Amino acid sequence: MWVGYTKGLLKEIGIEPERLKMFNLSSSMAPAFKDAVEEMIEVAKKLGPTKIQKKAA
Amino acid sequence: MAKAFKEALESGKFVITAEVGPPKGVDIEEMKHHIELLKDKVDGLNVTDNQSSVMRISTLPVCRLIQEAGGEPILQMTCRDKNRLALQSELLGAYILGIKNVLSLTGDYVTVGDHVDAKPVFDLDSVLLLETMKGLEEGKDFAGNELKGEARPTFCKGAIVTPEANPIEPQLLKFEKKIKAGAEFIQTQAIYDLDNFKKFMKYARQFDVKIMAGIVLLVSAGMAKYMNANVPGIFVPKDLIDEMAGAEKGKALAKGIEIAGRMIKTLKDENICDGVHIMAIGKEGKVPDILAEAGLS
Amino acid sequence: MIVAERKPFEEIKAMIEGCKKILVVGCGECVSVCMAGGEKEVQILASQLRLAFEEEGKELEAGETTLVRQCDKEYLEKIKDNIDDYDAVISMACGAGVQFLAEMYDQKPVYPALNTQFIGVAEREGEWSERCRACSDCVLAYTGGICPVAICAKGLLNGPCGGTNDGKCELSKEKDCAWTLIYNRLDKLGKLDNIRKIFPAKKYSVQTTPGRRIHEAFKEKE
Repeated sequence: MWVGYTKGLLKEIGIEPERLKMFNLSSSMAPAFKDAVEEMIEVAKKLGPTKIQKKAA
Repeated sequence: MAKAFKEALESGKFVITAEVGPPKGVDIEEMKHHIELLKDKVDGLNVTDNQSSVMRISTLPVCRLIQEAGGEPILQMTCRDKNRLALQSELLGAYILGIKNVLSLTGDYVTVGDHVDAKPVFDLDSVLLLETMKGLEEGKDFAGNELKGEARPTFCKGAIVTPEANPIEPQLLKFEKKIKAGAEFIQTQAIYDLDNFKKFMKYARQFDVKIMAGIVLLVSAGMAKYMNANVPGIFVPKDLIDEMAGAEKGKALAKGIEIAGRMIKTLKDENICDGVHIMAIGKEGKVPDILAEAGLS
Repeated sequence: MIVAERKPFEEIKAMIEGCKKILVVGCGECVSVCMAGGEKEVQILASQLRLAFEEEGKELEAGETTLVRQCDKEYLEKIKDNIDDYDAVISMACGAGVQFLAEMYDQKPVYPALNTQFIGVAEREGEWSERCRACSDCVLAYTGGICPVAICAKGLLNGPCGGTNDGKCELSKEKDCAWTLIYNRLDKLGKLDNIRKIFPAKKYSVQTTPGRRIHEAFKEKE
């Protein structure tokens, strides 16, 4: 419910809502964590960089 | 010159009224044709007031056109677009032109029409509008100010009721308030179930008002089903829907006319009510056929 | 309480076009309760604005603060010392708070982040409904505690209208018909006679624009 809301906030500023996803994991679920990370890496690769241009520190 | 509507009501005859919907714009040829077609066949011709909250020509000038054509107009006045000042001005203006029959309505809400961002007025409601007319007749405006001079308007005041409203009790409570406020004639929302209507009339007969059953021409089974699902207070019973559906291809309208005519004939022959108000929305040209079907032309 | 909702993001962003430093000011009362303009919403809006500006290669410094409320000068004073650091202020208060802030700090553009909607109640978490139109002529004593001005779409005092359908309003099946509710409530209380009388018309003259009330104790006396 709040994840959906936050996806909406991202969409409002032109950031693809798929970049955000909620996974329910415990600290002992290492394989599931790996899968989740890999899934989101794929999403990030597919979508490419966001439009946000952070100035170099 | 048409006989005054009030006279027709008081004569005890089975009164017939129909309606004319002014167009959006100034092309009034079709409307004039309908007026010509209907003016001598009915005891009164209602003119709708921005019906369904769709902007159209205002009622008063159209009532005048009906009068000039020799018909008897009934001015429908809703409370949606005018405050109490404008309503009273219009009533007085109507009266000085000889337009005395007024049907008092609250009015559909603004957002169901075609100017959804317009400011809804609803300064008065149909009950208070009837009281306003009564007040003017007694020489006082709504704020209690005396009218100038000796002359006083008199109106033939009407209101509506929905006999198939669900729940019915609040509707009947309001109906009684309208009568208390001075309603002399009532035109009902469309009815199709005569048994239900007879029950309503049994209750309504205790009041001193003339009641005209609303008749809306069915043009298809689809229309009947649509109204059942979407229009408050309209109930088309299954047997009528089946009858419409069973009509030969291309003959649905004729079937609708037959049904309307039959209902009117029954209402008259069995003395169920004092008359009918025919709403042939978009099919005003068929009203004479309905009357013929009812044996009333 | 007053219920409001945040304006569409693009509308707010357009208000501060050209600004480099803005202050986003929240309000700790009504708009916090209806999750529109409280501390959390200030954080969210400020973050969104920063990110959105960065997407266009522009920088935006967005300060964040939340006042107890913005309809009281005592609490508005809190930003007195640093407001001049900013190009503009976005107030996340209701319309009253925005105006009061703008009045006190009239040297700065003050922009509204919310659309103020109504006086209402919390039906459940995350859902608020209108109950009062502040009409200065309360009739709740006659209608069994149900307001025809706020709940009836047409604001009728002699309802229902012909559009009522199965207890629902002509406008939408989601809206209750106020007069059916009133009828049922009065029936339950045994007070249907209240609405058998013809209710007089609303007195709009009591709703002065703008309204003003001075407590008796504070009026000038001879």
